Amino acid sequence: MPFFCKIKTKQIINLINKLSNIIFNNFIIEFKMQQREEKQLETSLESIVQRVNDLKASLASMIFKVENEYESLNWPKFLDNYALVSGQLISLSKVLSHEKCPNLRNLTVLPLMLSPERDEQLIQTTEGRISTFSHDLVPDYLRTKLEPLAEQKMIQLEHKAQNLQYDNAQKQIAAYQKVVSHVSDIVSKAREEWEVEASSRAGQQQNSSVADTHLLVAAVGMGKGLKMGPNSNGQPNATSGGMMVPPQGRQGGPPGVGPMPPNAQVMGGMSKAPSAIKTNIKSAVQMHPYGR
Amino acid sequence: MSTLGTAIESLTAAMKCNIIPNQEYLLQGSVLDQYVEVLLHRLRGLCDNVDSGPETFNDHELCYSLRANSANTPMVLPLRVRRALDVNDAPFQLRYVGQQELGDKNRPTVVRSCIDMACSSTIIDFLTELGCRLDFEYIARGYMFRKGRMKVTVSKIFKMNGMATKPGEGVEAISQSYLVELSVQAPSGQDAIAEDMRVFAEQLRPLVQLEKIDYKRLGSVMP
Repeated sequence: MPFFCKIKTKQIINLINKLSNIIFNNFIIEFKMQQREEKQLETSLESIVQRVNDLKASLASMIFKVENEYESLNWPKFLDNYALVSGQLISLSKVLSHEKCPNLRNLTVLPLMLSPERDEQLIQTTEGRISTFSHDLVPDYLRTKLEPLAEQKMIQLEHKAQNLQYDNAQKQIAAYQKVVSHVSDIVSKAREEWEVEASSRAGQQQNSSVADTHLLVAAVGMGKGLKMGPNSNGQPNATSGGMMVPPQGRQGGPPGVGPMPPNAQVMGGMSKAPSAIKTNIKSAVQMHPYGR
Repeated sequence: MSTLGTAIESLTAAMKCNIIPNQEYLLQGSVLDQYVEVLLHRLRGLCDNVDSGPETFNDHELCYSLRANSANTPMVLPLRVRRALDVNDAPFQLRYVGQQELGDKNRPTVVRSCIDMACSSTIIDFLTELGCRLDFEYIARGYMFRKGRMKVTVSKIFKMNGMATKPGEGVEAISQSYLVELSVQAPSGQDAIAEDMRVFAEQLRPLVQLEKIDYKRLGSVMP
């Protein structure tokens, strides 16, 4: 950073001058203070530079996205980037307004040497934007005021504002306020409606019942409430009520699927009346040679 | 024998290539009877089969279990047979559904292994002869929707009253709600689909809360 280097050289020269004074005048305390200030300046400059670099990087990536990924870029992503940039701006301004940060406005940037020749170091630090530290460029880059055009415009506007009649100004303010309050009315009204709708929807959210969900899922998944025969512990299932029919020997086929021709054939001359599953299950289990 | 050999070979090859859809991603919920029309309307808008309208079904599901009573480790193999009551010549469906895995909070759906196959009506005899016992049965009537690979069913569950001579008679709805299920069957390892399901389920809120439901928390365990 040549500017900073130059600032430093200038200050060092200053310091040397002062040092001689100090030595002669025993103003050692002042020297110490100066040293501390310089240290502060250095650290705060470092952190400012770091934040500006962060900001630059995120701006560059945002521009890259807009230019190259415009097809897949969506609004939320863009807003994310924007939020990042504004967050970095806020942290930069916090650093600048920090009490330990020296007032940069009180410092001067003084170009000590201008040359029309290519400066490789300068090119490197500015990433190829500035190749020479020459007379026609320096005033633009080191200026601390607005651009001449913008400055002119500002002056014009300030003139206009000064020449404005008080009544006229009041009128314009009133009109402006009217418009703004109208818009804010519309927005707040819409918001109110929206909130009412949302709350009423939350109120009548009884489109489904958790108990029913659990009942249905348990029934379909585990047969809860659907089992017809007695439970394995021998007690009749509460839901199967009075369907118990005395066992009638072996019965093929699933109960409740009575009229299935193949089953009827298997059963042969047995009773066809669909009966308690218990018997069916038992018989199937007992007949099964691989059961145990 | 050679055909059998090649069949098994091609099956193992298929398993190795991981092309068999043996994982089911599942979300479940319910909707009260009076709002089912609203839900159907919304599903009609969201799903693929818009033109043909929702597909209806009227299925009878029989849930069997095969128990191997080995001394210390009682093993229960659940098998489900499903048959259409409204289409006469439709094949029966045999389905194995494994233990469901809830996973952690980051996993949007329940995952369970699951194998489906078509079979003839003799499957019931076959299972009975094999020693399977019928645990329970029910009738599910409702509507089926498709959205890409996702399947949405909205069904009313009926209990069979045992004395009925014909299935479909003497049935009794077990609740005042329709069961809503969102599922996808996919080869294992395709977890990305679960995320799609979560997004889709989000679109049905607050009408239906499609969630991962833990069977174990529902209390009763299979006897």
